[in-house]
Amino acid sequence: MNLSWRWLGEFVDLGGVDAIAFAERFTCAVAEIDGVHCIGPGLEAVTVADVVAVAAHPNADKLRLATLDVGGGRSVTVVCGAPVLRVGMRVPFVAPGVRLPSGLEVKDGDVRGVRSPGMLASERDLGLGDDHGGLLELDGCAVPAGTPFCEATGADDVLFEIDNKSITHRPDLWGTYGMAREVAALLDRPLRPLDLAVGLGSGDPVRLQVGSDSHCLRYLCARLDGVRVGPAPVRLRLLLRRLGVRPISNIVDATNLVMLETGNPLHAFDARFVRGGAIEVRRARPGEALVTLDGSTRALEPTDCVIADAEGPVALAGIMGGADSEIRPDTTAVILEAAAFDANAIRKTALRLGLRTESSARFEKALDPGFADVAARRFLQRALAVAPGARVTSGLADAGPLAGRGQAPIVLHTQASVLRERLGVTPAELTDAWMDAAYGRLGFGVERSPVAARSADLCEDPARDGLAVTVPPWRATRDVTRPEDLIEELGRVYGYGNVRSEAPRVAARPPHVPPLKRLERDLRLALVHGSGLTEVLLYAFEDEAARQRLGLDDGPGCTRLGVRNPIASELRHLRRNLAPNLLAAVERNLVAGDGRQASRRGWQVALFELGRAFVPVPAAAADPAEPGADERPSLDFGVPAVAQGERGPGERAQYLDQLEPEMRAGTETAAARRRPLPWQPVRLAIAVGERLGGGADGSKFAVPPREVSERLWAELTHALAVVARAAHVPPFVLDRALPAGALPLPVAPPDPDATWLHPSRRAWICSGDGQHVVGLATLVHPAVRAALSVPAEVAVAEIDLAALLASPPRPTLGRAPHAWPGSALDVTLHVSPALDSGAVLAAVQSVPLAGADAGGLVVDVQWVATFDAPGGTARAVTVQLQCRAHGRTVTAADLDAVLDRLEHGGEPLRRMGARWDRPAPTPGFGARTPPA
Amino acid sequence: MATDEPGADWRTELDQVQARWQAAVAAGADVAALRTLEVDALGKKGEITALVRRTGALPPDDRRAFGAAVGALRGVVEGWLAERADDLQAAVLQAELDDSTFDVGRPAAAGRVGHVHPLSQVQAEVEDVFRSMGFHVLDYPEVDSDFSNFESLNIPSWHPAREMQDTFWLDDGNLLRTHTSAGQVRAMHAFEAPFRAVFPGKVFRYEATDASHEHTFHQIEGLMIDRVVSVGHLLDSMRTLLRAILRDAAVEVRLRPGYFPFVEPGFELDIRCRVCGGGGCSVCKQRGWLELLPCGLVHPNVLRAGGLDPDHWQGWAFGLGLSRLVMMRFGVPDVRLLLAGDVRFLAQF
Repeated sequence: MNLSWRWLGEFVDLGGVDAIAFAERFTCAVAEIDGVHCIGPGLEAVTVADVVAVAAHPNADKLRLATLDVGGGRSVTVVCGAPVLRVGMRVPFVAPGVRLPSGLEVKDGDVRGVRSPGMLASERDLGLGDDHGGLLELDGCAVPAGTPFCEATGADDVLFEIDNKSITHRPDLWGTYGMAREVAALLDRPLRPLDLAVGLGSGDPVRLQVGSDSHCLRYLCARLDGVRVGPAPVRLRLLLRRLGVRPISNIVDATNLVMLETGNPLHAFDARFVRGGAIEVRRARPGEALVTLDGSTRALEPTDCVIADAEGPVALAGIMGGADSEIRPDTTAVILEAAAFDANAIRKTALRLGLRTESSARFEKALDPGFADVAARRFLQRALAVAPGARVTSGLADAGPLAGRGQAPIVLHTQASVLRERLGVTPAELTDAWMDAAYGRLGFGVERSPVAARSADLCEDPARDGLAVTVPPWRATRDVTRPEDLIEELGRVYGYGNVRSEAPRVAARPPHVPPLKRLERDLRLALVHGSGLTEVLLYAFEDEAARQRLGLDDGPGCTRLGVRNPIASELRHLRRNLAPNLLAAVERNLVAGDGRQASRRGWQVALFELGRAFVPVPAAAADPAEPGADERPSLDFGVPAVAQGERGPGERAQYLDQLEPEMRAGTETAAARRRPLPWQPVRLAIAVGERLGGGADGSKFAVPPREVSERLWAELTHALAVVARAAHVPPFVLDRALPAGALPLPVAPPDPDATWLHPSRRAWICSGDGQHVVGLATLVHPAVRAALSVPAEVAVAEIDLAALLASPPRPTLGRAPHAWPGSALDVTLHVSPALDSGAVLAAVQSVPLAGADAGGLVVDVQWVATFDAPGGTARAVTVQLQCRAHGRTVTAADLDAVLDRLEHGGEPLRRMGARWDRPAPTPGFGARTPPA
Repeated sequence: MATDEPGADWRTELDQVQARWQAAVAAGADVAALRTLEVDALGKKGEITALVRRTGALPPDDRRAFGAAVGALRGVVEGWLAERADDLQAAVLQAELDDSTFDVGRPAAAGRVGHVHPLSQVQAEVEDVFRSMGFHVLDYPEVDSDFSNFESLNIPSWHPAREMQDTFWLDDGNLLRTHTSAGQVRAMHAFEAPFRAVFPGKVFRYEATDASHEHTFHQIEGLMIDRVVSVGHLLDSMRTLLRAILRDAAVEVRLRPGYFPFVEPGFELDIRCRVCGGGGCSVCKQRGWLELLPCGLVHPNVLRAGGLDPDHWQGWAFGLGLSRLVMMRFGVPDVRLLLAGDVRFLAQF
């Protein structure tokens, strides 16, 4: 919305105020100004001229020669191409050598062989509008020829381009007069009252009836006769143009101008088409329709408010008039409507019909119905001025629940000390007198009374600390209804820039950070710096197209949460697991990246994401009364129940007890009443993909060589080892089968039946003690691999962070390193290739190698290497037994004892059919002498 | 075998052997050559070792002298070998010390380098600023209730702000939170006042995407609840925050009225444009100021919904767009890059 500085000047004295400097103050106190536009520079050399003669152009049919009186007794003949040119017109004349704001340069030159020293200008030439069809006719400018154009038409102006979003809560600011009130308050200058004097006729304009349930609060109307419809005076037309409204005719322009002045929309009907001489404001009836001014047929609903005549709707109340009754060139009698409607009803109808108009935009802000009367009177004044011969032939009919009244003012009680406290100012900075004056300038009434001050420091006069503030009707509809709303009124006039910045004085307490948040941060840094993975953040929505193409199904029974209004039909579900979106991201990167950029290790892409998955709550768990509901995974946001503060929960309970039942319903009971939220576990997903170079036969979707799959699996398990380290838990155990006695997750990430998991190359990720499942690691199913746009192998893992937090931590002890030389024994076990290295290692680790009879040795067993025979016929797993003794060197006899125990106590090893050759017990990792 | 004096012949021979080995050792070019020489001279089948075996063939009178001479020869050659080895090693060391051909400028070995997402980097930085000032750092659900997202924030069902918010509604009747403010009342119920907290996270808006609009983006909410909280406190806290996260001690801020149903008074906080310094440029659209974050004093209805008596408790709150902050910090031209998961983009951070 544009605001005209020139027009503001009609309501408040702007003498000596620099509009551009003032714009910043206005932005900080009232509404955001998006831009300031100066109109006038470049128009100084444009003058008013009268066309005294018109002659044909000797060399062109479409051009004519206009002889002009340009004032001062001078006459000029210029070439003009406008068809509207006629003798007796007043037009803007631009002398040669001028560059107009539109960029047009006017020259003294020949036009088709005839000299033309200057030109006649259209709106567009002058940069005042987009009408270039003809000439800007300066009718109604009672000035001598030669008068500067701007002086004659008031076209020079400064426009503030107001950001409408910044005044959505201010019904009073949708008209210039309301803005002028703010300007006057900021400048501390008087606001001129609006002249509302108008000569009315007598009798009713129509039989007026306003239905009590019609959504109409107040409806005024009057009748004008003797109207001659024509263009409005140029001054008015140019003002409308500046404010962004297209001039139409004197009557319609007058309605628009008064709307822009008062903020209250108006409508003018051609009285001929108000059938039956009656207007009824009512709800639309079922099946009713209306052709609106824009030519569209609107199907109406009984929730809509309409203006109807004896035969049916003639206007969509507060939004748009009907096409049948609009003002036409031959209209002579006009019925004016000035009304106020229920803001929500207007908004709902406008929203439903997708028809937001200047009118509906204003009504939905909850205008003061008092504006309607002001607007009606201002319109009648204007109409009489712009349509000579017109007269008001009726009285001003006024009906509706708020007829004759408008919004009632409301009184709010507060204290000067409270206002100062909220702003952070002292009585010396903001005095009582200043406070009262500031409110007064904004139209608020202030009455003082003695009330005990909130704080003596903030009180100027204890006998006058209490305030009863009367909110003016134009602010009282919605905007200022609570004592807190008064703070802003004072603050913005005082100037927020004048408020002292003051550090809050707070209790020194260590902040609470949920363990989950700490874990996320630790994992992020570890995976990036320890494992060389790149963090991505992806959408919560899943792309159905990608899911279908790749065959990423979560598994039977794994429902996803649907979006009722998806942004695109492919994005209609929330992810139940992180892995599918991450897989799609790996594919995109393998396609887009040139590999070397993606990672330095050939053609790999290694990504991870930390984020929430969304699991719908099963119907049984949704009902808290249902048994078992408590067993659903807790939404652990890491927040303790109300922390016991120094004041304890007593104050809260007391406060809640005092509340009215419905207010209490607005707090805790409403919180309890709400629908259960879906489970939103925080997950970590890791994916490592490697692009393949096509098969030996040149086929695109080659089966990856086994070493590629093994390499990616190793990359993935390395990342998991980093995760375990960063999460302070013992190394994970990866097991194809769920370990006996392990606690499975209530919602597996991902579900083991998900179609994209490799059926045999996958493993549960379990805590080191094998008791807690924390996630799943897998290579992608060959079908998914084949569906990828590039030949590639991908390894994926997903971990539930709450499960990770719940698994037992790694004990951390600061033992001194052993001082005495130890010994290492490499033992190679020959096993079936169906046995995992991890299982073999676990079997060796299960043997009690370090009993008391083994000489108090400490034995640590580590995996060294696994060798698979070609063709997968045999497997050899080498483990290292690291032995150390307390206070002495390990001897060959010690090692013999350990090997004996392995031989005799290795029942699990025998069960798995492991063969091994007993190594020679050679002590030492290498010669090293203990410190003396 | 004619001799002038006893043993003269083998003495001459030993002298010759010694001279030959002296020359051979001196000519030994490297450690490997020396090793070969050592084997050839002193090894089991070496020439000098073989000399020892001739002792028995000598006249008894010569044997002792011969043995001593061979022993001495052996010692001398050993000495030469060791000396030569030392020299060679010293030369190698010196060559290494003098070497200027070592390619110190060779690009780093190919190893995979990971990258922290810029949003995580900026979020961690903002969290740390607040944690250092005693703010809890919390995490709240992305799918939330109508109550948390709207009703508790003084946005009842009829309120136009609900349409302004462009909400994604879910099949279960809940919604994707449209702002991190949805955590305000959760925090009020979770912590006994006074407290202060920030809660960052993803938020969702049902709106068409372009270079500056995304349906999913990141915010961080700040909330302070205490007995007395004023506009002056808010101003100071915001200034402190912005100084830290913009790393600019001279950052200039201003508050202007802004309407949000859950604060009263509500503000838009602007910072003086850091590109043009306030003179006006394309970044600030000639305004000289950049709109950065909405903030305000917590509305009494929100305090009530949080179980706090507005006669005794007050608060301030703000919502900062982390995505926007990342774009400002790193000059990111298109917000959609942030969630595209494109390593070519992320590898810059």
